Amino acid sequence: MGAYRTEDDYDYLFKVVLIGDSGVGKSNLLSRFTRNEFSLESKSTIGVEFATRSIQVDDKVVKAQIWDTAGQERYRAITSAYYRGAVGALLVYDVTRHVTFENVGRWLKELRDHTDANIVIMLVGNKADLRHLRAISTEDAKAFAERENTFFMETSALESLNVENAFTEVLTQIYRVVSRKALEVGDDPSALPKGQTINVGSKDDVSALKKVGCCSV
Amino acid sequence: MKNNSNHSLREEDQPKKESALSSLDSRFSQTLRNVQGLLKGRTIPGKVLLTRRSDPLDDSNLQEHSPSYHRSFSSNDAGTSDRVDKPEEVDNASKPNSTAGVNKLKSSTSNIEDTPKEVQRSTMGARATDSARLMKFSKFLSETTVILEKLRELAWSGIPPYMRPNVWRLLLGYAPPNSDRREGVLRRKRLEYLDCVSQYYDIPDTERSDDEINMLRQISVDCPRTVPDVTFFQQVQVQKSLERVLYTWAIRHPASGYVQGINDLVTPFLVVFLSEYLEGSVENWSISDLSQDKITNVEADCYWCLSKLLDGMQDHYTFAQPGIQRLVFKLKELVRRIDEPVSRHMEEQGLEFLQFAFRWFNCLLIREIPFHLVTRLWDTYLAEGDALPDFLVYIFTSFLLTWSEELQKLDFQELVMFLQHLPTQNWTDQELEMVLSRAYMWHSMFNSSPSHLAS
Repeated sequence: MGAYRTEDDYDYLFKVVLIGDSGVGKSNLLSRFTRNEFSLESKSTIGVEFATRSIQVDDKVVKAQIWDTAGQERYRAITSAYYRGAVGALLVYDVTRHVTFENVGRWLKELRDHTDANIVIMLVGNKADLRHLRAISTEDAKAFAERENTFFMETSALESLNVENAFTEVLTQIYRVVSRKALEVGDDPSALPKGQTINVGSKDDVSALKKVGCCSV
Repeated sequence: MKNNSNHSLREEDQPKKESALSSLDSRFSQTLRNVQGLLKGRTIPGKVLLTRRSDPLDDSNLQEHSPSYHRSFSSNDAGTSDRVDKPEEVDNASKPNSTAGVNKLKSSTSNIEDTPKEVQRSTMGARATDSARLMKFSKFLSETTVILEKLRELAWSGIPPYMRPNVWRLLLGYAPPNSDRREGVLRRKRLEYLDCVSQYYDIPDTERSDDEINMLRQISVDCPRTVPDVTFFQQVQVQKSLERVLYTWAIRHPASGYVQGINDLVTPFLVVFLSEYLEGSVENWSISDLSQDKITNVEADCYWCLSKLLDGMQDHYTFAQPGIQRLVFKLKELVRRIDEPVSRHMEEQGLEFLQFAFRWFNCLLIREIPFHLVTRLWDTYLAEGDALPDFLVYIFTSFLLTWSEELQKLDFQELVMFLQHLPTQNWTDQELEMVLSRAYMWHSMFNSSPSHLAS
C-alpha cells in the first residue's frame, strides 16, 4: 500500500485529463510524470485510470489528479463523464502516426463540449524520440495549436523529454488562472477549500494567457 | 506492492541454477535484445519496465517440492487420456510430428517448467484432478451424447488441463454434444472461419470502408499489447492470429464491432486450444512449430468460442456499453447488501463503482489476476453458460470483498489506485477458489430469497 500513499498536504487540487487516440502514449506519459517509469509492455487502458502527483508552484503545493482515458472512440460515452470538473487537459497525438494528429480536432471538440470554457489545454506530440519516423512536423503542430489557442509541446515519455515540462506548464497555467480569478474577486487563493477540485469559472478570459510553448524539440 | 509484481531487468538477469531454465532465459534475453535493438543508441532515464507478471519460475520454493506433484499429476494424465476424446485422436496421433521441434525442449525442461504451475494448482488440483473426478469427466465425455448439465456441474470446480479444450468447446455449444456429429461439425465450422478470413480479412484496404480501416487499425494497435507480460504473446505470428480472429469477429458483429478489451478475451481460448498441440509452459511455446493447418484450426476454435461467449453478452460492447453499466449497478447493490460498512465507506469517499469495476466486466477479470489462473476462472465462467452475466456480479463482489478490511482504511485516491492495481500478483488457485466458493455461497443465499436484493 505504501507505494500508493499520497502526500496529503497541498494547497490546490487540480483535475487534469489525458486524452487522444489509442496507442499515442498517454499511459506512459502519466507513469513517467507520476512515478518516473516507462513500460515497454503497457496494456491498452480500459475505461479510465488514475494517478496523482504534487508539484510546487510559487510557494504553493499544487496536487494534480490525473485521469488517463481509453483512446478508442467507443469509450467516449464512458470516459467523457470524467471530463466533468477537469481544469486542464493534455491532448496527445503520436508524431509518427498522422491519423492521430488528424483526430486532434475531434478530441478538441469533445473537450469543449464537455468541459468549462476556461480549461487549460495543451497539445502534446509524443514519441518525439522516433525522429526517423516523424510524420508531423513541429511547425504544423505549432501552427495548429496557435489557431486553436492551445499550448503545445513535443514530448518523449521514453526518453523523459519535456514530460515534466508539459504537465508543469499546464498546472502552472491553471494555477495562474485560479489565483488571478481569486484576486479579482478579492479572495485569498489559499483560503479556497482544501481537497476540493477547483473550477476555473466561466467569466474569466484565460485566452490572454495562452501562448504556444517554446519547449518543442 | 509494485516491486512484487514487476521484476526489473536486473532481477530477470540473475543467473538461474537449472540449466534447463536457460532456454527460458534465452527467450527472455532475446526479447530483451529485440527491445534493446529498438532502443539502440538511446539513453533511457528512470525505470524501464519489462516484466513478466507472476512468473512461476521465480518462485524457487515451489520448485523444490514440485517433482512429486508433477509425477502424480502426469501419471493420472497418462492413465486416463486414452479413454477419452476419441474424436480428437486424429489430432493426438499427429502431435509427435507436429511438435517434434519442441519435443526435445519438452523432455528436458517440462519437469521444471511445468511443475511450479502444477504445485500452484495443487490446492484445487486435489479437486480438479482427483481420480474420482477424472473418472467422471472421462465417463461424461465418452457418452454418445454428452449430457451438458452434468458436465457443467463437474466443470464448475475446474477442468483437468488436458480435457479443457474439449470441455470448453462442448460447454460453449460450439462442439455438438452428439459425438457422431462432432467431428463433422467442427470441420465445417473451421472451413467456414477460413472462408470468413479470406472474404473479410485477406482483402486490400481499398475494398474496406473507412470504418473498417479504422477498426483494423485499432485492432493492430492492440494486438501487440495483449498480455504483454507473457512472452509467448510477443511472437508476431501469435499477434497476427489474434488480429485475424478479432477483425473477423468484429466484421461479423457490427452492432458492437471491436471494442478494446475483447482482445484480452481471446487469449484464454488461444492458450487452451494451443495446448492441444504445444506442451510445457506457455512461456516456452513457439507458434512457428505448428503447421498452418493447425494454426488455422486453433484460430477457428478461438473465433467460434469468442462468438459463443459474447453472444450471451451482446450489449456489453454496444454503444455506451449498457450491459456493463447494468451489471456494475448490480454489483454495487450486492456489495451494499453483503458488506454495508465497505459500501458506506466507498460512498462516503465518493468512489464510483464504474471507476474500477468497468474494466473487470469489460475484460472479465483477465487484467486483475495472474494469467496462469485465468483458464481455471474460465472453467467456472463457461460452466455457468447463459447464467454467466448474473453470476459475474457474485464473483466480482466476492473478489472485491477479499480486501474488505483494507478498503475501509483508504481515502478516495488510495481506493482508486488500490482497486486499479490489486495485489493479486502472487495469487495461487487457493485465493481464486476462495473467491469462487464465496460467490457460489452468496449466489445460493440471495438467489433463493430474491427479496434480499430488493431495495
